Amino acid sequence: MKEAMNLPNQLILLPLLAVVVVNLPLGLRWAAMLGGVFFSIYQMWTMVFLPPLETGFFDLQIDGLSRVLLLSIGLVAFVSILAARGTIRDKRERFYFYNLVLLAMVGMNGLVMVRDLFSLYVFIEITSVASFILIALRRELDGLEGAFKYLIMSAVATAMMLSAVALLLLATGETSFAKVAEQMRLGGSGLPVLAAGLFVAGLLIKAGSVPFHGWLPDAYMAAPNAASILLGGIVTKTTGVYALIRLMQDGMFGTGMSPVLLLAGAVSIVAGALAALGQRDFKRMLAYSSISQVGYIVLSLGTGTALGVVGAVFHLFNHAVFKSLLFVNATAVEDRAGTRDMNQLGGLAARMPVTGFASVVALLSTAGVPPLAGFWSKLVIIVALYKSGHPVYAAVAVLASLLTLAYFLSMQRRVFFGKLREGLEGVKEAGWYVLVPTLALTLITMGVGVLIPWMFGSFVLPMEKF
Amino acid sequence: MAKLIVQNETILNLLIWTPVIGAFALPVVGKVSPRLRNLLALAGVLVSLVCSLALYRTVMAGTVVTVAMETGFGSRLFHADCLAVFMATVSSLVGAIIVFYSWGYISHYDNQNEYYFLVVLFLGSMMGLVFSANLILLYVFWEITALTSWRLIGFFREPQQVVRADKAFMMTFFGAVLMLLGFIMIFDKAGTFDMIQLRERFSSECIPNLAVVLILAGLLSKSATLPLQTWLPDAGVAPSPVTALLHAAVLVKIGVYVYARLLIVTFAIDPMWNVVVPAVAGASAILAAGAAMIETDLKRIIAFSTISQIGFIFLGLAIGRASEMAIAGGLLYILMHGFAKGGLFLCAGIVEQNTHTKDITRLGGLVRTMPVTAVSFLICAFSVMGIPPFGGFFSKYMVIAGAAKSSPLWITLIFVVGAFMTIIYLARVFVMVFMGESKGHEEREGSVVMVGSVALLALLSIVSGLYIGVSSDFAQAAVKQMLGGGQP
Repeated sequence: MKEAMNLPNQLILLPLLAVVVVNLPLGLRWAAMLGGVFFSIYQMWTMVFLPPLETGFFDLQIDGLSRVLLLSIGLVAFVSILAARGTIRDKRERFYFYNLVLLAMVGMNGLVMVRDLFSLYVFIEITSVASFILIALRRELDGLEGAFKYLIMSAVATAMMLSAVALLLLATGETSFAKVAEQMRLGGSGLPVLAAGLFVAGLLIKAGSVPFHGWLPDAYMAAPNAASILLGGIVTKTTGVYALIRLMQDGMFGTGMSPVLLLAGAVSIVAGALAALGQRDFKRMLAYSSISQVGYIVLSLGTGTALGVVGAVFHLFNHAVFKSLLFVNATAVEDRAGTRDMNQLGGLAARMPVTGFASVVALLSTAGVPPLAGFWSKLVIIVALYKSGHPVYAAVAVLASLLTLAYFLSMQRRVFFGKLREGLEGVKEAGWYVLVPTLALTLITMGVGVLIPWMFGSFVLPMEKF
Repeated sequence: MAKLIVQNETILNLLIWTPVIGAFALPVVGKVSPRLRNLLALAGVLVSLVCSLALYRTVMAGTVVTVAMETGFGSRLFHADCLAVFMATVSSLVGAIIVFYSWGYISHYDNQNEYYFLVVLFLGSMMGLVFSANLILLYVFWEITALTSWRLIGFFREPQQVVRADKAFMMTFFGAVLMLLGFIMIFDKAGTFDMIQLRERFSSECIPNLAVVLILAGLLSKSATLPLQTWLPDAGVAPSPVTALLHAAVLVKIGVYVYARLLIVTFAIDPMWNVVVPAVAGASAILAAGAAMIETDLKRIIAFSTISQIGFIFLGLAIGRASEMAIAGGLLYILMHGFAKGGLFLCAGIVEQNTHTKDITRLGGLVRTMPVTAVSFLICAFSVMGIPPFGGFFSKYMVIAGAAKSSPLWITLIFVVGAFMTIIYLARVFVMVFMGESKGHEEREGSVVMVGSVALLALLSIVSGLYIGVSSDFAQAAVKQMLGGGQP
């Protein structure tokens, strides 16, 4: 019994249990939020202080990579639950929201701990199903449309991944990461290569990388704000990017996938940033920015070196923090000013100083301006690219941060900086349910950036191993 | 009496961290007492000044003070040699006067907490940059100065000002990321970001020319030199003390300082650059001087003058290891130009605040109503023109004399022409603004704090010229240390 409740199992079973309990007719619906908050804090807590090395059901394991991901999941879930409490007015919707976040956590926690392709696929689906409903939660037309797009694209991805698993099973008779990697090393030709290609394509769809990004802006924009935080901050990063990192790190593809990843990454970075430049909807801009930032992670993976993987994981963590923060800011702005159209906003920093300051920190971190956290992960990525003999991609990565800065400065200019726009005099700073996550994420972004000399050797570099 | 012994490392740490960390306390203090906040802001910068002066004797003796810590990218964080202490003294001295001036100037506007926070953080990161012992730390502080100046340029928040702030940030960021690429190229070759190790590694071998180009892109954008100069005149929309900070004391000097730090002290570069960089600087000096002659916006004229004068500093430094006199002249130029240009901008601030215009065609006869400002402006202008015995004369003389000895004649001639143009446009400004008939603005002298600051800068311009020995000895010691010996 004791073994059944070790940490990996807890991370799956506790949220599941919470969902079941609050839905039983015991009058415990009010506990859904508390459950979510406590569980996400518990998850962060255990991940910050070294979790014990235990193996749960289905060979669930926590290593360095899983640990970073679990920490990010806990953090973003915590933030989005609080934001939901602050901004979703309808009680029933809010209740559904907490349940769905908990279910999404089951899926994400599972998928970062599993050690075989088939279970990976299953947990990806759990997460995706929860996300579909989260997007459509308000039952409005654009929400349904966004969810439908995501559903269709996901179905394609699913079909690809499932066939890949089948092909691998056919070729090697195994689905566990270690065994498949071994088989790939022995004779990576024919079927396994096809399977690897299919699987990567499926994951790139899930990650919203260019050219498979069509669903992402619509889905993020249509989702309720609190759900956008979860989706943009962590969901697509675990379902798509994490799986890529894991497979790359375990040597599942050999080196054959490197050129593909490099190209997809570079194109995503530039295309995402260019598209973001032209947006006037705050959340849509953030969605394109996500595409661009995911490009950095994919690009870094494309180097195929240990440093590249470190850069990718580090950037993934930073992205979870700063992109959630930006989505929280967008949430606060829409909640208070009533619109996300940046052309109708202006000078909000005067009315919402905390949100304004936080958005500056987050955007500078995204653009890779030191001393904030995002700079360091980008630096690792660029060094990794340069060292692995891709100076051109390094230059693309560096110059694209200029584009990032350009669209974010335009956002900052239109929303926060500048003179207060007429009609916005009555805007007040967001409530505590939004401010607490804002402050927490701001502090993390600044803290990781400033304390990097202490963390670089002990936290960042060993990220790849435990 | 117990003698107080403070470790040099502690002094260096205090010098850097007092303003950097202290800046974050200012907005909090400001909520309670604006007066205390103003005092603390000045105190923070003064701590840097006092600490740099305290290091003076140590570094003159040839000791290099080092702060080390184990990090993932090199173990030495800061080091203080003559060059760094010189630069820190100049920046913190001019910075302190500007903060003092701000007490008067900024008291009329909103968001004062933000203002003092940014200014002090700006000066603190300047200190960090000056003492950085590895390239990454240098880059970090480099960008902190960029992002603080971004908010400061857009401080008044009118749409046009915010756009220009964004422009300045984008242009300097563009240069900076190119420079970062250059650093990474060097890192790839040498495997370290540490400047001392890099110096040993590249003592005989030149760094690749591409890396020099990339690093120069960063330096030229920061120092507003052709072809990346356009943000600087536009940045004149900032509050006047901020433009003084940007143009005179801190921001534009970063580029020239880092040129000295990296391309003279740390890396050996292809001798070709000793002609190319002066040529670019010369073009920059002439064109900007030409622009200053036809411009009618007071602050833009002085801004173009900055671009032009930065060309002289680059000339002095870029002649390279061939001429000690030119490099010493370049360093002195940083000091003299800091005093004089700071004074000019602060005078312009007084004029602007009291007459509500920056257009020199609509000004005139202010010498009668603003005598102290006018005299200070004149003294600072003389110093920038290079008229003896003001400080600017000596630096300009050393730079041009050094250039005459060891670089092609045409480069020297360009700069001589540039120097004449300086005299013409500054005389034009002075005559149009302060002489002639009054144009009927409501005119009065600025507040005591503000006028006192400009008078102090003017006084410094004179004193630094009369006692040129003090600063030139130090500059020459710095040059000796830079060019070899003295450093471990």
